[in-house]
Amino acid sequence: MKIKLTWKIWLLIIVLALSLISIVNFSGLFEKGVLITSVESNSTAFEQGLRQGQIITEIDGKPVETLEDFAKIIQEKFPVEENVKTIIKTKDSEIILYSDKAPQITVSEISKTKIKTGLDLAGGSRALVQAQDKKLSAKEVEDLISITDNRFNVYGITDINLRSVSDLTGNHFMSVEIAGATPKDLEKLISEQGKFEAKIGNETVFIGGERDIASVCRNDATCAGIESCQQSSDGSHYCRFRFAIYLSENAAERHAEITDNLEINSTNPEYLSEKLDLYLDDVLVDSLFIGKDLKGQVTTQISISGSGNGETRNYAYEEAEESMHKLQTILITGSLPYKLEIVKLDTISPVLGKEFIKTIFLAGAAALFAVSIIIFFRYKKFKSSLALLVTSISEIVIILGVASFIKWNLDLPSIAGILATIGTGIDQQIIILDEAKQSLSLSIKQRMKMAFAIILGAYFTALVALLPLMWAGAGLLKGFAITTIIGITTGVLITRPAFTDMIKRIEKD
Amino acid sequence: MEQDKTKNWHDKYYKLFLLIPLVLLLFSLIYMGIFYSKNNDFIYKDISLTGGTSVTLYGQIDKLDLEQTLSEKLEDISTREIYDLITREQIAVIVETKTEGDEAEKILEEYLGYELDEDNSSFEFTGSALSESFYKQLLIAILFAFIFMAIVIFIIFRTVIPSAAVIISAFADILMTLVLVNLFGIKLSSAGIVAFLMLIGYSVDTDILLTTRILKRHEGSINQRIFGAFKTGITMTLTSLVAITIALIIVKSFSIILTQIFTILAIGLSFDILNTWITNVSILKWYVQRKNEN
Repeated sequence: MKIKLTWKIWLLIIVLALSLISIVNFSGLFEKGVLITSVESNSTAFEQGLRQGQIITEIDGKPVETLEDFAKIIQEKFPVEENVKTIIKTKDSEIILYSDKAPQITVSEISKTKIKTGLDLAGGSRALVQAQDKKLSAKEVEDLISITDNRFNVYGITDINLRSVSDLTGNHFMSVEIAGATPKDLEKLISEQGKFEAKIGNETVFIGGERDIASVCRNDATCAGIESCQQSSDGSHYCRFRFAIYLSENAAERHAEITDNLEINSTNPEYLSEKLDLYLDDVLVDSLFIGKDLKGQVTTQISISGSGNGETRNYAYEEAEESMHKLQTILITGSLPYKLEIVKLDTISPVLGKEFIKTIFLAGAAALFAVSIIIFFRYKKFKSSLALLVTSISEIVIILGVASFIKWNLDLPSIAGILATIGTGIDQQIIILDEAKQSLSLSIKQRMKMAFAIILGAYFTALVALLPLMWAGAGLLKGFAITTIIGITTGVLITRPAFTDMIKRIEKD
Repeated sequence: MEQDKTKNWHDKYYKLFLLIPLVLLLFSLIYMGIFYSKNNDFIYKDISLTGGTSVTLYGQIDKLDLEQTLSEKLEDISTREIYDLITREQIAVIVETKTEGDEAEKILEEYLGYELDEDNSSFEFTGSALSESFYKQLLIAILFAFIFMAIVIFIIFRTVIPSAAVIISAFADILMTLVLVNLFGIKLSSAGIVAFLMLIGYSVDTDILLTTRILKRHEGSINQRIFGAFKTGITMTLTSLVAITIALIIVKSFSIILTQIFTILAIGLSFDILNTWITNVSILKWYVQRKNEN
């Protein structure tokens, strides 16, 4: 074969190279260690700063290169009778734990690819949530997402994907996806209305929702905003925010009664001796000082303040704004505005995922192998069969490349889509092969043009047939449409033209 | 010379051949009519379309005993095994029931005598209202896919009868596959319905090839063109069938979803051979010959 390649073949080579770059996680190839996939919130490991995404390289001075290393060190050391010191070295920090229990984290090997697998392969949970007896609007779902997101944050679950999804009939859902370990009370976390309490000492002053809180000032600079920013002695910045809330009459009276019994704070005489503690579902989310002027007053307007810290003024400002928003949200929506219903809840174990992927690879490889044998026997041309095989494999690589580039999670429907594309791809290459042999009165160029007319027809019919699936069924089968559309479009634009040129070349030889 | 013999034989009987798909089509329509009046639906639905819980229990579990013991407690229980492809060792049992997730979990835990967590089980629960709307939408998706496909076919060929022939063949593929799936008593999942969508794409490929070769080429006799298209088309369909069958054998032990998709595609592609090379060819040949006579 001549080495001179046409631009179409070059295009295929370039796109292939780009796809490989998009798939391979180069830093993962050379990095040693294990990746933290989750950290139990409320654990010492979490408190000391271990976070999901960090890479552990050493424990107690022993190098950790594989999962086995990690398991060996932990198993040898724990359980123990009393607290022992464990030094965990991550890529950019060192963390020291004192505990009698193994660190409450889960780890995995550093991934060598950037391909993301969906829940049905990687394990995790997924829920679709709707309001009970009420059709949610798109706006309401957005609000619901912000409340839920806030809640998950309070619970220390951050690796969560909340989306608004809609279906063909105009229903809107909140979709919740959590990769990896499923939080134990996921159902409650998502759908329980939630209990907000503001306490002074042990006494409840007011709770979230309309009964006690008449309104909360938001997005109004006259009663809510960042007050001031300052630099503290250690060089970091902090900004203070303040916003007003309006209590109902009952709550205001209760507030007066309770604060009447408090004294002035001895160390900080501007404030009262006890703080106003805010609880969400029994978890303390914030403690606020109570101004001394409020002692015993029946006041409906309460000013709530707090601060945000950061290395720079901007960071501190953002942090303060975020905290303010969080608090406002909690106060308004301490309880969710409507009763929710989980209409779909899947918790998929990661146990079978790996084996599953292996099986799919095996199935794909065996099918492709069988096809190339058939092609070889049908056309008795080794080069053409090889070209067909190479083209189909590059198609798979390109689909995976695009999928990891757009960060699409490959789930089962997506994989079915890839298989479908390879099938139609091979069919179209057979058309090209046969057209190349046909009607010798025409030039090979004309013959290829004819093959393309057929292929384009097939492409457009397949494309339009897939479009409805993008929206049907709350997007649960969208993966199928996505990978197939990527695949057939790649086919028409890149791989099929390249294959045509390869065949032209082979036919000329 | 062989070409000539083929020609005569085909020229004589091609209209008669149309009777085969016609009878099948008629039978399919009647069968579906009876099926619909009996079940008030077009298919048997699995729990992904009726609503319910699917639990995958990992480990060696006696499937029969579980099903018998719990048949009273779990509504509409059915079980399936997942096993290793090579060792044939059982990996897991899938339990499907219309009972809701929480309740099903409790009942299963009671039976198994241990707590179910994410290391030993997977749960998938779908509410019945959602499933119902899901099902309806998938039907709408298929309907639209079919209509869009039909429009594109008309745009490509711009003549009524050849376009209609392609569309009729695709319709026949889907209908006949549906009948066979129902005759086998397969309970369709949402993935199974997607397989029908894939079938639309697969089945029109060969029809487009055929119609293009016959209408837009002018070399050789019509029979030569048909035979040329047949050689290409049958290679396409057979390679697809072989690939799908091999994949089906491999995933059968493992994935119920992919097994269903591949089964439906295999059935559909087999019918596609009939519908492309008898239904579509005969209508098209008839059309071309009448046009030539006029």
